Amino acid sequence: MKEALLEKLSNFIAEGDAEEALKVVEEALAAGIPPLEILDKGGTRGMDIVNERYDNGEAFLPELVVAGDAMTEVVQKIFSQMDEAETKANKIGTVVIGQAEGDVHDIGKNIVAALLAVNGFEVHDLGIDVPVKKFVEKAEEVGANIIACSTLLTTSMPYLEDVVHLLTDMGKRDKYFYIVGGGPVTTGFAEQMKADGWGRTAFDAVELCKRLVKNGTPGTKLEIVDSQPSN
Amino acid sequence: MSMNLKVQKLLNNLDKAYTGPICSVKDWDIKIIPKTIMGKLKEHGLEKTYDPDNPINTDDELADRFFKAGYELALELGMLCEDTERIIKIDEKELQECMRDYQRENILGSGQDQVVMKPRRPEDPYPPLLAASLGIVCSEENYLPLVEGIIRYKKLVDVLHGPTLATVYGRTVRSGTPYETLMGRYESQLKKEALWRAGREGMACTGVAGAVTEFGHLAGAPALAGTGNVTMSLCPVELKCTFSNFHRIMQGLNYGHKIRAGGFSYIGGYAGPPEGAVLANIATDLLIPTILQSDYTSSYVYDIQLFGNCGRKALWANSVAIQAVSRNTRFMRNKIVNETAGPCTEMFLYEAAMGLMNHCVSGASKTTQPRSAGGRYTDYITPMEAWWCGEVFKSCAGMTRKTANEIAKKILPKYEDQLKNPPKGKPVQECFDLKAQRPSPEYQAIYEKVRSELIELGMPLDKVYYE
Repeated sequence: MKEALLEKLSNFIAEGDAEEALKVVEEALAAGIPPLEILDKGGTRGMDIVNERYDNGEAFLPELVVAGDAMTEVVQKIFSQMDEAETKANKIGTVVIGQAEGDVHDIGKNIVAALLAVNGFEVHDLGIDVPVKKFVEKAEEVGANIIACSTLLTTSMPYLEDVVHLLTDMGKRDKYFYIVGGGPVTTGFAEQMKADGWGRTAFDAVELCKRLVKNGTPGTKLEIVDSQPSN
Repeated sequence: MSMNLKVQKLLNNLDKAYTGPICSVKDWDIKIIPKTIMGKLKEHGLEKTYDPDNPINTDDELADRFFKAGYELALELGMLCEDTERIIKIDEKELQECMRDYQRENILGSGQDQVVMKPRRPEDPYPPLLAASLGIVCSEENYLPLVEGIIRYKKLVDVLHGPTLATVYGRTVRSGTPYETLMGRYESQLKKEALWRAGREGMACTGVAGAVTEFGHLAGAPALAGTGNVTMSLCPVELKCTFSNFHRIMQGLNYGHKIRAGGFSYIGGYAGPPEGAVLANIATDLLIPTILQSDYTSSYVYDIQLFGNCGRKALWANSVAIQAVSRNTRFMRNKIVNETAGPCTEMFLYEAAMGLMNHCVSGASKTTQPRSAGGRYTDYITPMEAWWCGEVFKSCAGMTRKTANEIAKKILPKYEDQLKNPPKGKPVQECFDLKAQRPSPEYQAIYEKVRSELIELGMPLDKVYYE
């Protein structure tokens, strides 16, 4: 029964059916399955399914987003069953993400946001054309540990740098990991602005966030995740 | 004072942005678009029609079935206005009227540099137009010689779009700020000087390449006023628009410009599989002239996993979408190829050749090129890429889709395994002499090798020559 319930949960998450996924979580909790096991063997498996389907070109952005939404609800439900210390210990991280000021191209950023949610991060998506101050304000409000900013436009790249300057000037640089990405954003630019991380693809961004929250120290060095290095 | 008909129609659609059905952007992206597209594909039996073995479609019946489904999709969906989160819907009468009243040609530029854009059918012998370049960033000091080189050959490049300035008087351009306002005027002035230096003063310009917001357009458009010039307005993906789009178009009409409005469709994005992106792209090509009153549309299918559109899926999707609209309407469209490899690489030349051959034989009226190195790196652009794009795009006019498909089948395997890992190539200073306006010997040799190979395979590149 336990295996069947966990499999049902992973399938509902992969399909993005939050309502049914939450029902299964309740059933699993009532059956005495430990919350963390539900999250790990039900939730994580569901994430793996949708990740793989997207990577193989069998699932697309809408499926990623709805699966990410379902996973977020499941994580919230499971965390509500844990005490504060347990919740804190098991939360992977909280990310504030947005498209830099002046830039309305959001599809790449949306994929990163969806994949982060699917992979268990709490994601606060500020959308497009986000003023520099808003990134820091939101991160403070939600207690984030990662600020992620991307752009496809060279004329919005200076704003990526402005986020670092603002964090530094506010004396908060060591509080947040700051990661950057997007078409024209190179590792050289990320290094020059003293960002904490750069990823080439959306999957790289997820791996980057995992690495930073596990081993990183904000404001010390640039972590690069590049699954497709250029020739 | 009587109102211009285009302005009147544009205002009617702007009014709908305040009165149309309410829909949030998230619901539009995640529910309405995928559900309606997948439903339409199923209804018309178009699921899994993507044919990886034939990257350039030769099946007219398939193109027409896609057109019918795309036409219905356009009428069912309309476009979402992001600012008001209301849908701007059109009825069939409005769409039919737009198709019926659509102009027979667009005259761009003036005097001896004037060119005529015409609707093209698949395999049309009328040569399409080439605008160069896409907004690839270049150093301020390289801008003038680079643009002068890009537009040097009348037979290859018809319209100037131009690279994007990295700085203005040495200062970084921040979009939406006074730096952008200053840049808008500055870029227009530099363009005019480059046109004069190249002896092509009458060549059409398609707005300010570096203008991300209205500020750059407002500043730059007056310097490029006149009916031969163009204002560009690009919409968010999929089938969405903003007040910024309306704003730019209204401003373009104020200055007597032609309007080029665009919207792209992403394989792997909200439209889903290649077949879904085809439908979304057809709907885009029908809705943009009807709602935004464009004189021509700028749209294409892009593969989100490859950051470009020279892979098999995107070639196929673009071929079907372009053919569908070319066979069933007179709408003129600017179709962009997104290369991923950089200057001075064989791969760039292959990618450009496959993408442009496909767009040409499928019925595109114009393109804007190149997007060398995916437009990612400063100064990774030379005039050579623009010349190559012009040579291929124009030479392929009149070629059959069957021949093009056979060439694509032979060339694609030469680069498709590198699409996720493309060579960056070289910056302009390492592979092109901007004083002599000639490529380096290395780049020249790469060009000659690829050119000979394509001629041997049947691409009629000897039809166009430099003069």
